Amino acid sequence: MRASRGTKRSLVGAVTTGAESINPAAFGRDARAGLLWTLVRTDFKVRYHGTAGGFVWALLKPLTMFVMLMAVFSFVFGSDPNYKLDLIIGLFLWDFFAEGTKAGLTSLHSRGFLLSKARCPAWILVVTSISNAVITLVVFIGIMLAFLIWAGHPPSPASVGLFLIYCFALMLIVIGFSLATSVLFLRYRDLNQVWDLVTQVGFFVAPIIYPIGILPERFHFYLYLWAPTPVIQFARSVLVDGAAPTLTAHVYLAAAVGSSIAIGVWLYRKLGPRAAEYL
Amino acid sequence: MNVIEVEAVSKAFRIPSVHRNTVREHVLGVLEPRRFEQLQVLDRVSFSVAPGEALGIMGRNGGGKSTLLKIVCSVYQPDSGRVVRRAAITPILELGLGWNPELDAIDNVCLFGSVMGLTLREIRQRMDRILEFAELERFANLKLKHYSSGMSSRLGYAVAFEAARDVLVLDEIFAVGDAGFRAKCEERFRSLHAAGHTVVLVSHDPRSVGEFCDRALLLEGGRIAMDGRAKDVSQEYLSLLNRTPEAAVHA
Repeated sequence: MRASRGTKRSLVGAVTTGAESINPAAFGRDARAGLLWTLVRTDFKVRYHGTAGGFVWALLKPLTMFVMLMAVFSFVFGSDPNYKLDLIIGLFLWDFFAEGTKAGLTSLHSRGFLLSKARCPAWILVVTSISNAVITLVVFIGIMLAFLIWAGHPPSPASVGLFLIYCFALMLIVIGFSLATSVLFLRYRDLNQVWDLVTQVGFFVAPIIYPIGILPERFHFYLYLWAPTPVIQFARSVLVDGAAPTLTAHVYLAAAVGSSIAIGVWLYRKLGPRAAEYL
Repeated sequence: MNVIEVEAVSKAFRIPSVHRNTVREHVLGVLEPRRFEQLQVLDRVSFSVAPGEALGIMGRNGGGKSTLLKIVCSVYQPDSGRVVRRAAITPILELGLGWNPELDAIDNVCLFGSVMGLTLREIRQRMDRILEFAELERFANLKLKHYSSGMSSRLGYAVAFEAARDVLVLDEIFAVGDAGFRAKCEERFRSLHAAGHTVVLVSHDPRSVGEFCDRALLLEGGRIAMDGRAKDVSQEYLSLLNRTPEAAVHA
């Protein structure tokens, strides 16, 4: 007799029983792609009632925030001619981070019936939960670039390419976070409230509404430990200043992404197979 | 070779003296250790299912039927023992899983079909057949929140039967629908079985098990109390209902 705790597990959750179990592919690649697409499409349809007008509401919150903050803080940081450009980049990337992590954290719980009554790959539920935040980010990228051009700072194609890589890095950070917290939330049901507090503090830790230069340099290291900070700063650097961060800075970002994904996958694989028992 | 082999599978749930589901409760209760009771739901259960066989699983509430079914479908993991599956399994543990009332029938078929493991191409190809079987062609574009429970069930059956793979695992799904539609579902079930699909069916209904299954298991107190012809097990189940649980386990 063999205890199942030592069994081989996969991220897609295909093998969930004894070590010598055989589980013919119940969910092939096409079926996984179909499920992913269907969940994204129907989630979008339900949330925005299938209309472009409904989607506008999702854009209004950060846009309003941008207008209000720009109106107030332009007086405080009026000496910085690029303040409004830095603000729009910081705000929109932050909005993606906050909305994505919030949705990812509750993803398994909100679709718990699929965990406890069906055998579909649970990681798809986690990944698709951030789809609306991704769609919003894509629209925001268009708005950001248009705003930069309008403000007389048209970014070069290389800058845009680097910026898209940073956005992708942020998405991987959000996915890593979501994989970890989605399984933890099933055991700790107030984790969303804890995360609300963290993001509230995190909004001010990341240099979104203030230039990082106003803080003494010895504090910068601690600010960069907060995952959104390097992404926001690097994005500003390439889009506004037209200067690519150093190789060391990129290695740091890659390490942040790698550790986020590694911790997320590790926790998901450790706790995921028994997730249905906590619903 | 058997398509499913369950070997000495055990499963227990730890029931804490105090439930702690939040970070706050865990932090505040750090100095108050909890006691845990073991609730043994399955105790070294072994059985196998041959290709094309229809196996019924019967037992009282709390007997471990649903837990066993979830372990067979990989929803739960056993504490010990192993399950070998040599064919693709379609679990139908609930009809219309994931229905969204704000979406119409077509979108819900896509949703449920995808959850059941169908590809988008398969769903598109079978859409007309699904709506025809459910007798809902005229209401295909109606949001599900306007459907009656009977209409939703019919749609659930229609998709589930289209998603059937080698092995069908069913949990009490013949208990809904009107008599006419139920007969239609039973006919479809028979044709799937006749076409060579293996079936594992959990039911409280002796008629369903006696009529649709070749063989049945009787679960009592987490163990297999009887493994035999479906009709004999159905009879034993009926007599078991008149006994106390303690007497049944020691019988």
